[in-house]
Amino acid sequence: MAPLRRSSTLRLTGLLCLSFLVFFSRGFASHDVVSEKSSGTIQEDSHSQANSTAHKKTFPVLSFNYEHVRTPFEISLWILLALFMKLGFHIIPTVSHIVPESCLLIFVGLLVGGIIKATGEQPPVLDSNLFFLYLLPPIILDAGYFLPMRSFTENIGTILMFAVVGTLWNVFFIGGMMYAVCQIDAAELAHVDLLSCLLFGSIISAVDPVSVLAVFEEIHINELLHILVFGESLLNDAVTVVLYHLFKEFAHEQTITVTGAILGVISFFVVSLGGVMVGVIYGIVGAFTSRFTSYSRVIEPLFVFLYSYMAYLSAEIFHLSGIMSLIACGVIMRPYVEANISHKSYTTVKYFLKMWSSVSDTLIFIFLGVSTVAGPHTWNWIFVIFTVIFCLVSRVLGVIGLTAFINKFRIVKLTKKDQFIIAYGGLRGAIAFSLGFLLDNDEIKNLFLTAIITVIFFTVFVQGMTIRPLVELLAVKKKKESKESINEEIHTQFLDHLLTGIEDICGHYGHHHWKDKLNRFNKTYVKRWLIAGERSTEPQLISFYNKMELKQAMMMVESGSAAKLPTIVSTVSIRNVPTKGAPKPSRAISKSREEEIRRLLRANLQKTRQRLRSYSRYELLNDPLEDNISEARFRKQREMERRMSHYLTVPANRQETPPVRKVFFQPEHKVYTYDDSESPRGRASPSCADDVSELKETPEKPDQSSTPRANRDAELKPKEQDDQGDQLKVSRCLSDPGPNPEDDEDSTFLP
Amino acid sequence: MGSSSSSRNKIPNAQELMDQTGFSSAHLLRLYDRFECLDRDNRGYLSPDDFEAVGGLAMNPIGGRIIDAFFSSGQDTVDFSSFVRILAHFRPTDRNRNKEGTQQELPNSRTRKLKFAFQLYDLDRDGKISREELLQVLRAMLGLQVTEEQLQSIAERAIQEADLDKDDAISFDEFKKSLEKVDIDTKMSIGFLK
Repeated sequence: MAPLRRSSTLRLTGLLCLSFLVFFSRGFASHDVVSEKSSGTIQEDSHSQANSTAHKKTFPVLSFNYEHVRTPFEISLWILLALFMKLGFHIIPTVSHIVPESCLLIFVGLLVGGIIKATGEQPPVLDSNLFFLYLLPPIILDAGYFLPMRSFTENIGTILMFAVVGTLWNVFFIGGMMYAVCQIDAAELAHVDLLSCLLFGSIISAVDPVSVLAVFEEIHINELLHILVFGESLLNDAVTVVLYHLFKEFAHEQTITVTGAILGVISFFVVSLGGVMVGVIYGIVGAFTSRFTSYSRVIEPLFVFLYSYMAYLSAEIFHLSGIMSLIACGVIMRPYVEANISHKSYTTVKYFLKMWSSVSDTLIFIFLGVSTVAGPHTWNWIFVIFTVIFCLVSRVLGVIGLTAFINKFRIVKLTKKDQFIIAYGGLRGAIAFSLGFLLDNDEIKNLFLTAIITVIFFTVFVQGMTIRPLVELLAVKKKKESKESINEEIHTQFLDHLLTGIEDICGHYGHHHWKDKLNRFNKTYVKRWLIAGERSTEPQLISFYNKMELKQAMMMVESGSAAKLPTIVSTVSIRNVPTKGAPKPSRAISKSREEEIRRLLRANLQKTRQRLRSYSRYELLNDPLEDNISEARFRKQREMERRMSHYLTVPANRQETPPVRKVFFQPEHKVYTYDDSESPRGRASPSCADDVSELKETPEKPDQSSTPRANRDAELKPKEQDDQGDQLKVSRCLSDPGPNPEDDEDSTFLP
Repeated sequence: MGSSSSSRNKIPNAQELMDQTGFSSAHLLRLYDRFECLDRDNRGYLSPDDFEAVGGLAMNPIGGRIIDAFFSSGQDTVDFSSFVRILAHFRPTDRNRNKEGTQQELPNSRTRKLKFAFQLYDLDRDGKISREELLQVLRAMLGLQVTEEQLQSIAERAIQEADLDKDDAISFDEFKKSLEKVDIDTKMSIGFLK
């Protein structure tokens, strides 16, 4: 019942939104908007229809001025529409299981476009500027920043082959074949010459990262295939850019010269390597800047975004590959920035990137739908159908041919299943459309645009919808949900060293050799410059271990605290891991509050105890049984109280210490949170105020505090140490506000 | 390089080696050249200092262990066939091979690869990686940058995660299990040894 109501409310809101949208876009589209005219169509009751003409003599109490806010208002409405659609698809799960989200969004776009057109206005088209400068970068940055580097670098050869050679093959095959098709008299396409066809080929052959991401994300395919197709879609940008500009120039000149061709090849290297270089420069600068951002943590995420965006824009200035620049910037920046910025900033970066890319992606598909309705179309059956056929054929042939060649060099060969998925995953998308839109306005452009849109629709709808059942049918390996394991990390590093050693013995400079060299270079030179403080010398294994411990700690707090402890107590944030500065304790609750809590709990527990006793005293019949039960209950209550009080206040502990010692804290998940939270392997930070003196393990502690890396080491207390000592430590940490009253918000993120 | 047939005659038991390790004759030749290159004094066998002369091994944290792995217990020389047999562990696995019989015997099966790696941890050959052995490995890999307590806690956690029969040590099966998600076939293979 509730979901139904929710979905109907949603539809209502969606409909309302749509109607607003229609009316406002009407105003947006038409060029002579007068406030009276637009106000006449608005149904908002909040604004009265004030006459803004000169007839008004009195002071307007309520006036209406839509022009003032029109652009941001309409942009917001579009984004809101996109978000509602996204929300809607997730609330109604049935449809989204069959049809991928991108299809639904295009469909919505078609609807909206249709509505707008039906009202007689011109629907907005996906402006190339808007697309390339605002909608595309967030998606690419999100993809690049979270690119799985290990699998990417392992398969870089294959990816490059597909991206460069594969795209080149596609361009020339499609271009050539389409030219042949144009020669057929029945098509009436004789005016389309070879260069235009090649230009068309260069636009249509590139695999689109946006579509690939949108579709592949939902099918959870194994990492190898995902990175192959996705990596290809990213890296073929350079090829596309070069070929597009090249053929456009040639089409202008109507001639192909040898020098032109050679310059084209050179231009390819310049575009791709130049783009990467720009990205690397910005990445390094960004990493260096993040070294100093500890002075103002709040603006840290902005640095990440801005440097990456600037990298993209700077590359675009010189007509270099903006996508490769963006990816390079994100990849270079990431390890250093993550070591430097706080945990909260990292979360912010992650969520903002996801948010922006999600919105962008939704908007792109909606606009694609709208533009389809909008644009002038020249439909030519033969041209369009052959385009689709040749796109498919060239993709399949290209993949098969390249794989046969690549498999000679690969350790893990690509099977037929893999090849099929790679071929089938070659989706075209909005980049092709935008590039087509940038062509000079003539009749050929409309022809091309129609064909491009058809191919996009075909790939997104048909291939997008059928890929999931095909993946199931072919039993393609899915993504393994792997829990992070310290064992895996240790052994993987061990194997890396082993393989490097064996390679040295064999005299073969392979993958491991270079990786090892890079790591060494990174450790000795780069990290020192780009990472602040003592994190620069932290080995990767330790970072990994810290990260795991932190995650586990947070998990335990979240799982346990909601159930067991009263809400006030659960504000004890174990996340307040001390920073690299002077060890600051994690201030949990003020002393007076704790006293209150203790009193409250004590009182309640006592009440229950009393109740039990009185109960057993008067119930003569069940006396012996009751006694046992009440005894057990009573004991439990006392234990619980003991633990609670131990958790809360320091002074009360003094009497309680002897019984506490008897309590054994299991490292595994127990019902009571404080068991786990007191496990010594964790954030038990001994760096608390010194005014509590009852700690037994004092000799060790000062030593640790004095070493420069005290805060890190101190968190990793070995279990061999006295449980009781740790309990006391923890209780001290968690309860004592310490000398510095302010909450240390800026706990460094441990990646 | 000389004609293949005469070179093959240089290598003792070439055919037997090829059968046992799965190397082709071209590979065997390459390895033989490498062997001769390492064997500076042309003695026909390798000793530890020959290995130590190899560039990267000095900086490798587990370089010493790798060298020791070549020398089976007691001996201090490695002849060509032992050399090849050890390196055969790193041959890429053939996915398409039929799994009956032969696969298990070849040194480059997944189990054999893992066994080789396991033996590098388990120096006293008791079939288990004890805490002390794990600590030694960690100490070697992490060097002087970490404190003893950190090492202890990492080792502790690692054993806790992997140790299923609670004997406070990692047996070979537990080792295998903890690495089940890692693609050993790719990870422990060297491309040119196909």
